[in-house]
Amino acid sequence: MHEVDEFLSKMGSKIGLVINKKKRLYFEVENGNLHEVVTYLFKDLGCRLSTATAMEVYRGVEVLYQFSHDASGQYFCPRVVMTDKKKPVMNSITPIVTGAGWIEREMAEYWNISFTGHPRPEPLLTKNHPRGEGLGQPFRIRRTS
Amino acid sequence: MNSNVLPVGPYHPLLEEAEYFTLTLDGETVTDIDLDIGWMHRGHELISERKTFTQSIYLVERICGICSTSHPLACVHAVEDVDNIEIPERAAYIRTLVGELERIHSHLLWIGLAGHFIGYDTLWMWAWKYREPILDMFEIISGNRNHYGVMRVGGVAVDVHPERISELKKIVDMVDSKMHMIAKAAKDDPVLKSRLVGVGVLSKQDAIDYCAVGPTARASGVHTDVRKDEPNDAYGMVDFNEIVCENGDVYDKLVVRVLETLESTKIVRQCLDKLETVKGPILNNVKEISMGEGIGRYEAPRGEVFHYVRTDGTNTPVRHKVRAPSYVNIPTFQASCKGIPVADALITLASVDPCYCCTERSIKIIDPNRDPLGIDIMKLSRDKTEQIRREVYGG
Repeated sequence: MHEVDEFLSKMGSKIGLVINKKKRLYFEVENGNLHEVVTYLFKDLGCRLSTATAMEVYRGVEVLYQFSHDASGQYFCPRVVMTDKKKPVMNSITPIVTGAGWIEREMAEYWNISFTGHPRPEPLLTKNHPRGEGLGQPFRIRRTS
Repeated sequence: MNSNVLPVGPYHPLLEEAEYFTLTLDGETVTDIDLDIGWMHRGHELISERKTFTQSIYLVERICGICSTSHPLACVHAVEDVDNIEIPERAAYIRTLVGELERIHSHLLWIGLAGHFIGYDTLWMWAWKYREPILDMFEIISGNRNHYGVMRVGGVAVDVHPERISELKKIVDMVDSKMHMIAKAAKDDPVLKSRLVGVGVLSKQDAIDYCAVGPTARASGVHTDVRKDEPNDAYGMVDFNEIVCENGDVYDKLVVRVLETLESTKIVRQCLDKLETVKGPILNNVKEISMGEGIGRYEAPRGEVFHYVRTDGTNTPVRHKVRAPSYVNIPTFQASCKGIPVADALITLASVDPCYCCTERSIKIIDPNRDPLGIDIMKLSRDKTEQIRREVYGG
């Protein structure tokens, strides 16, 4: 739990609602603080980005990054919620974590999220396919949680 | 710059899944690579959100024919993580046993294919010959040689019959002795070494930046292995070593997989020993899953398989995210393929073990503005091995 305490002491003022489970720390972060939090997780704590998950919730569109601290098995999960469901915009973390490139491009296609500062903001799955063939927001079930 | 573009895919014998790589060549040197996926989207996540948790296990089992234990195992870990559900000790050993048998057969499959791609067909035939008894073990345990249907939330669905354990031990002893032979052949062969050492290097920093997982990362000196980092099931109760190399080339990726296979046989033996003595139930009765979110992962043969579920108190997930290891390993080609000869591109692309298929296809330039080159990338790869073989042995 040393990593969690260290993270909360350094980044506690930058994050919102925290859910602390066994080896899982879910927390909300404002878009403006995302880069600072991710830089700390990736560069200072040495976490690895497993993936990111987007979903539509009652407050808007949510992106949940899942960072693994491999040395301890602890997960850090920053959550960004964009309230504008029609034009969700948030900062890209790909300039900090190269490995986020594909998943952010994929989320942009599925949920129409604009990732500001992404080095290659082009479709990943539908680059050479007709747009909307089996993919895209209209094809997902809209549910709330 | 006088460059040519060489497309690999979307359907190619190298790739089990349909993926599309575009290599930009300057002479025989790869100067750039572009990756294009999305040719085989099957909508598992969305389908899963319409299924019950138990039905989802059968669904994700069919994401990959090779990892047909890894996905269900990560899936049940995710659901169990929502409520911190514990499983019986006997079930833990059965899960680990099946997971490690899958690692052995997957690594043997890759070792054989890698040998075939560079024209080393003896290695191919050996590896695939000794993969068959492992599939026999699956049949003894579950009744199926693939898609075993073993995993359940709260435990496992099938037990290992005590009277079959000695038979299983004999098979694993035989495979272990043959694996030592293959390991010796792979590590001592001068042609194989000359062909693979220094080829397609992925530096440690690149592996970290791209968040690579599994043997791809461990061959570059990155310590990442879910079995050690978060020892689920019986991994905290068995003895094994994490195999890590330093150079990040194709040879080290081969060495990691060969040595991991030997570690897996060690784990399988320990699990079988324990199954003779540890008695009791194999499944806890889980009646409902409460509202929440859970992360499940498992160290598949290709690296970490990641599943995330969000639940709302019903018996279906609100969100089910699946991330296979190839999804994070394939982008590393942008680091490992640049600057290498085109003859090495095939084995470098294969070195992360993206899913293979047996569809045979030739490679042609499809850019209508250029003259077709008609390059057979497989032939180039095999010719280079033959050239090294002649240099080593003469003739």
